[in-house]
Amino acid sequence: MDNIYNSVIEALIFASDDPIAPAEIITAIKALDGLDTEITDDEVENAVNELNVKYEQNGHAFTILKIAHGFIHATKHDHAKYVGYLSSEKTRRRLSQAALETLAIIAYKQPITKPELESIRGVNSDYTLNTLLEKNLITISGRAETVGRPLLYVTTDEFLKYFGLRVIGDLPKPREIEEIMKDEDFLEQKRRIMMSGIEEKAEEEEIQSEHELINELEPEDEIENENTVE
Amino acid sequence: MYKIRLHEFEGPLDLLLFFLKRDELDIYDIPISKITKEFMDYLHLLEKLDLEVAGDFILMAATLMQIKVKMLLPKEIDEKGEEIDPRAGLVKALIEYKRYKEMSEEMSFMESSMRKHNYRVNFDEDSKQAPNDYEVLLKNITIYDLIKAFKNALLDRPAEPVHQIKKWNVSIDDQINFINSKIKDNKSVSFLDLMIEMREKIRIVVTFIAMLEMVKAGTIGLRESINLNDFIIYGIANG
Repeated sequence: MDNIYNSVIEALIFASDDPIAPAEIITAIKALDGLDTEITDDEVENAVNELNVKYEQNGHAFTILKIAHGFIHATKHDHAKYVGYLSSEKTRRRLSQAALETLAIIAYKQPITKPELESIRGVNSDYTLNTLLEKNLITISGRAETVGRPLLYVTTDEFLKYFGLRVIGDLPKPREIEEIMKDEDFLEQKRRIMMSGIEEKAEEEEIQSEHELINELEPEDEIENENTVE
Repeated sequence: MYKIRLHEFEGPLDLLLFFLKRDELDIYDIPISKITKEFMDYLHLLEKLDLEVAGDFILMAATLMQIKVKMLLPKEIDEKGEEIDPRAGLVKALIEYKRYKEMSEEMSFMESSMRKHNYRVNFDEDSKQAPNDYEVLLKNITIYDLIKAFKNALLDRPAEPVHQIKKWNVSIDDQINFINSKIKDNKSVSFLDLMIEMREKIRIVVTFIAMLEMVKAGTIGLRESINLNDFIIYGIANG
């Protein structure tokens, strides 16, 4: 493949609203330059890698993420604060613990019915499921061929995009039961490190939300689960 | 207003895991009696705070008590001849739940990390303003959206207009008779006195029209009252 396609690929990714799949990129190139143009998924992938290296070397503010089966331009972490200040990012709410739990179960067990989901969580999940459907993080894929033909839920491409995954298989593997029993301390420590970062952000958000929506009833965005009960 | 903040438990399993972790208990050897007591104490606390105790918690309380009872009875034996631990089901559920709870934590980190990326497209309205073909219009439609749209369509139907018609049992003829009854035997009546017992505006208006009719017919006369804010109605004898 010629290097000239690097900038074609760059243009296609730049112009796309959603993550664009390598297959779509190849379709566009072949449609214009002839079906015998030799270009493969791997070559597109390499082009993206080269572009990212170039961005990095030149100190660009953005990079190409490989998420949701495709590629998309995004600003880097370093600028999150500044961009967030002006964009709607500051109003973007985090998912609640309940929503994350439900998503995790759906992600690993999909397609899954509501009764199956609820038997794992041990609580009624109507509200959470509706919230996730609204946010387009999950969708209904059909009905199970069991008694009552309950609806089946699966995750969406939006889910992949939200969590920065390329395919569903990129999710970290759930630990085996034996592992869970060990490593308790290690996990706790890791969690604490991560939570301190999250809490900083949560505080910022809380200050803002107190200004903006004093009375809004939305228990969804609370993150401080770690406060003790005693 | 007071805001009481409890550790938010996502459900009974979450609460049990909390007890296990706090007291460093072995998940495979749960002291059922102790845990049941803790669990019930928590439920009572919720009741004291006047919070609605979800049915899920009550179900778990019942399950715990059932296990507690089974622990006291001779153990059941499975087909391999081994004793069945009455807690096995609960342990399995707890571990399964714990796995996904951990994954939700992982996903929370991923969420945090992705929130730091901003995409180029921040202006959704662009495509909405200029929908050029149906492919774009139907891009992110799921069955759920269709259900929602259908529901909205049903709810948003314009209501059948309902007009309330109220019948006024008052006519000009009635009011002419009414005025006549007030001024017979050479009595006179002030206009304001005439109106004094009338509640509805329409009755006042009709009475006023009746009065004008009578003036036109020459059966009554009007004269200014002393305080100038009112006038006196008096009958004119026929002939």
